[in-house]
Amino acid sequence: MYFAHAGHWLTSIAYFVPVVAFMVWLGVTQIKDRRDRRKG
Amino acid sequence: MISLFAHAGGLLGRADLPIPEWLFGWAAAMVLVISFVALAVLWPEPRLERDRWRPLPGGRALASRPVEILCGAIGVALLVAVVYTGLEGTQSPAANFAPTFVFVIFWIGLVPASVLFGDVFRAFNPWRAIGRAVGWVAGRVARSGLPAPLTYPERLGHWPAAAGVFAFAVLELVRSGGDQPDTVAVATLVYSALTFIAMALYGVEAWSARGEAFSVYFNLFSRISVFETRDRVLGVRPALSGLAHLVAGPGTAALLAVMIGSVTFDGAGEAPIWTGISPDLSQFFRDLGLPPQPAFELTFLVGLSAAIALVYGFYRLGIIGARSVGGGFSAGRLACAFAPSLVPIALAYVMAHYFTYVLFRGQAIFFLVSDPLGDGSDLFGTATTQIDYGVIGSTATWYWQVAFVVAGHVAALTLAHDRALALYADAKLAVRSQYWMLAVMVGFTSLALWLLSQANS
Repeated sequence: MYFAHAGHWLTSIAYFVPVVAFMVWLGVTQIKDRRDRRKG
Repeated sequence: MISLFAHAGGLLGRADLPIPEWLFGWAAAMVLVISFVALAVLWPEPRLERDRWRPLPGGRALASRPVEILCGAIGVALLVAVVYTGLEGTQSPAANFAPTFVFVIFWIGLVPASVLFGDVFRAFNPWRAIGRAVGWVAGRVARSGLPAPLTYPERLGHWPAAAGVFAFAVLELVRSGGDQPDTVAVATLVYSALTFIAMALYGVEAWSARGEAFSVYFNLFSRISVFETRDRVLGVRPALSGLAHLVAGPGTAALLAVMIGSVTFDGAGEAPIWTGISPDLSQFFRDLGLPPQPAFELTFLVGLSAAIALVYGFYRLGIIGARSVGGGFSAGRLACAFAPSLVPIALAYVMAHYFTYVLFRGQAIFFLVSDPLGDGSDLFGTATTQIDYGVIGSTATWYWQVAFVVAGHVAALTLAHDRALALYADAKLAVRSQYWMLAVMVGFTSLALWLLSQANS
């Protein structure tokens, strides 16, 4: 029942793409910083 | 749960927009990112923390004791009117003064009034006015003087206010018939009694400043305003600086989570994610043995609590991220430091979600003041006034809603940036810590626009 209206769900997910993209970028930046600190 | 006060978005047709609504969300996120970069480059030192209040010409007259007494008397008269009309008038919510005044004019209308004109509720606060009047009389009657009030416990912080706002949200969004006039009147009486007890224990001013829900609620919004009264003199200060001087403590972040979370839940009530889950949850509680109405109300209580927890959890996630960049601050210290930046977000949510509600439903006050009991009277000749639903169309509504959301979140970003600069010794560390607050802001922006699209569809 919850997946009956895929178009509706996809539209809803589209709203949160910027947040997810930003969180992914933040996560990658954190991992790179930690690697650099371990090397340094 | 209020049935009368259907979302004004439901009264409008679908907006005629040049791009999909979700693309507005992406554009809003871009605006926040650009604002963040601009702040990092153009705002290198804290500015809002400095005290730059200055008195206004005529400010002493505007904030004088006679004006305060007059405003307090008006507040008390309105409180009495709410209780009287709620108990004695028609029990049809739309035709009775009490529900419209409390849920539309007071709860929502005072928010923009506080942002524009400062802490106006403090002057009109009926509980503060009655408490001060009783204290004044008692002081003159008691020959040996009144006992000193108890010291307000620091660990209590804003928790009583958070509990009060949560209770109001339960009345508004959970309780069946929460908009019934007699329910509103009884709730007002109960709240008044509890407030007077607390004022007797801790003092009128101390309780109003930290514990009384509506005083704290409207004071938070008033800190965005350029107007501030000090020592009975009305003055001006830079916008947002009132929030920079807010001493956040225990319960402040929780209070703001309740404020934002309750609007979130109100908006999510239209979304398939809730309309899909709530019948199953209600059935689950009925299978446990609860009658239908309590099961229904418990379902909505769970939903409201989940929305508040989601907002609080997302904020704490941002705090944990900010802590991870270094600086030696505890998560608790950072959560208090950046809590004031949630106030413009709360404002954005309230204005975007409810401004058409006030524009439409607020017009009802013009006929309700003439016929407050709903018995056909016409005290001021306005009883036949009709609500004009054409004051704003659906497209304009959407653009205003987006504007409120973006403006509120840019203000929040500015406040958080300024606070970070004041907190961290290293400006680069301050900016890096704000990457996480930016993520929080983008998250709240996306959530706000998604909720609005659900309510408007």
